[in-house]
Amino acid sequence: MDQDRPRVETGRVLWSDGMDLLQDAAERKHLLPTGLEGIDTLLGGGLRKGQLTELTGQSSSGKTQACLYSAAHVAARHMGAVLYLDTSNSFSPSRIARILDELPISFIKEPKDVRLKRVMSSIICESVFDIFALFEVLNQLEVSLNNKVNNGGKKICLLIIDSISSLLAPIIGGKYSQGRSMMISVAMILKKLADKHNLSVLVTNHMVAGNGAPKPALGESWKAVPHIRLMISRDRGSNICTATILKHTLLASGRHMKFAVPG
Amino acid sequence: MTGDAGCGPREWLAVDETAADFLSRSLSTRPPILLPPPLHRAPLRPGNVVEIAGPSNSGKSQLLLMAAVQCILPKEWEGVYFGGLGKAVMYIDLDCRFDVLRLAQILRKRITHGCGSAHPPSEDFEKDVSKDKFHSFQDTLFSDCMKRFLYVRCYNSSELIATLKSLNSQSEARSKVFGIGIYFLLLDSIGAFYWIDRAPQPTTESKGTTISFQSITENVVQEIRKFLQLQPVLVLVTKAPTYGEGITASNDFQRGSSKYMLDDSTASRYSKREEEKNSSCREYMPSAWQTLVTHRIKLQDLAQEAGFSSEQDNNVLSVHTSEWVHPPLNTKEKFYIKDDGVGFIQ
Repeated sequence: MDQDRPRVETGRVLWSDGMDLLQDAAERKHLLPTGLEGIDTLLGGGLRKGQLTELTGQSSSGKTQACLYSAAHVAARHMGAVLYLDTSNSFSPSRIARILDELPISFIKEPKDVRLKRVMSSIICESVFDIFALFEVLNQLEVSLNNKVNNGGKKICLLIIDSISSLLAPIIGGKYSQGRSMMISVAMILKKLADKHNLSVLVTNHMVAGNGAPKPALGESWKAVPHIRLMISRDRGSNICTATILKHTLLASGRHMKFAVPG
Repeated sequence: MTGDAGCGPREWLAVDETAADFLSRSLSTRPPILLPPPLHRAPLRPGNVVEIAGPSNSGKSQLLLMAAVQCILPKEWEGVYFGGLGKAVMYIDLDCRFDVLRLAQILRKRITHGCGSAHPPSEDFEKDVSKDKFHSFQDTLFSDCMKRFLYVRCYNSSELIATLKSLNSQSEARSKVFGIGIYFLLLDSIGAFYWIDRAPQPTTESKGTTISFQSITENVVQEIRKFLQLQPVLVLVTKAPTYGEGITASNDFQRGSSKYMLDDSTASRYSKREEEKNSSCREYMPSAWQTLVTHRIKLQDLAQEAGFSSEQDNNVLSVHTSEWVHPPLNTKEKFYIKDDGVGFIQ
């Protein structure tokens, strides 16, 4: 009988009550602005730390732009370091420089090149091309976050994975269940990192053809993973994008807002 | 037993208690619980296990939060009637998607609503003293209620089993400190680790035994039963469906056959999709779990069923339906989710 019982971990089980959770939310789980007004207004301020946000949309609808804007704004406002995991070589330092140039005058407190250097050193960009490399990077991140207690260097506060669906879509589906189990394992690791180390995680997803309208990729099992799911669409031939809430822990789904992505 | 051989049989035949005594004892120790709609149709008592099943975004976690708020609010507080149960709630989060701000939002709206109906707002707002007292009264009540909400997260099955093993000692410790016992046990998403546990894993045990989803679920069921024996609580569990491996096969079928059905009305295409969904999301929990569950309710999101439309109005409330599967009631009731919780459509 004992052979069937799984090994119980010897860590202590931590219970917290409602007031502890509220205090933690107020003190630690702040909002990170993305820099795109429409998304920030829709989300009530920005991406929340401790939560996993998914941006889904068709190709060239503005998902990578939104990721670059978030990275630039979070780094520029001294909120912490950004880890940008890039699966398709879409990270562009020149685009970050142009985004910084668009910042309003009130933010300029130092010369442009100094700020550019500081922002670039706060964004850590790594290329990940398959799921195993992703596991490796996330493990390294967890180890370094566990060990770094109060280092002088900047603590990572935003983790962007652009796009996670290109890593996960090839492995799910088919006869074997390993692909789906890897997807759920990645999801659990991301949520654990977000909550324990106070990160905000932003992932992007692409869309596939469904019965009629296109739907987000990665299927039904992924739907239960992110805290917040947003859909971005771009009006043809213009710079105006629309962001729609598909799922949110606090707000009603269906709310949408238009915003402009310059350049 | 051998010592009582002389008076044994007579005592054994003597009546312990009458049926009336039994019923009154049972009703007093395990009184019926009235939950907010749509969970109010079936009679529930502590010791029951209710499974709330439904696809993503159908309102399952919202129902759990409504039940939690109902439990942590007191029946009456300084003259204001709230109609709650005034007991503690334990919430085990396996999905790790709980948002404490949503719970706080629902609780605050309930408290304001209760206070507002008891003390109608007075016309002269210069009475700052009474207004401050009003706010501090609400804040004390709010913090008292939030302290009765206990929360824990589990990131894998072994943590879940460890948590379940420690439930009894935790609840005893808390009731000693606060004087209030646990009345509800909420579990968000029992199938959260289904795919992780199903995949064959390399084990570190020397005998090479694999830990299967079946044995994990049997352990979970055993721990819950043990806890229910020591402390009868109402257990509410949400369950998301799992779509089987054959989902790509059934999609191909749909695409192939739709070529020949161009003139079909939307009604038949709709029912075909629903049929396909029903056949591909099968019951994945082992029979041990199914015997533990005493009540089942199924939720659906009407907007999703009709197909996703991106041109929705900002003010349209999404309507959800609920259907009691066990005990089978054969009626679908509608409800919608708004800021202060769940609203029931009669």
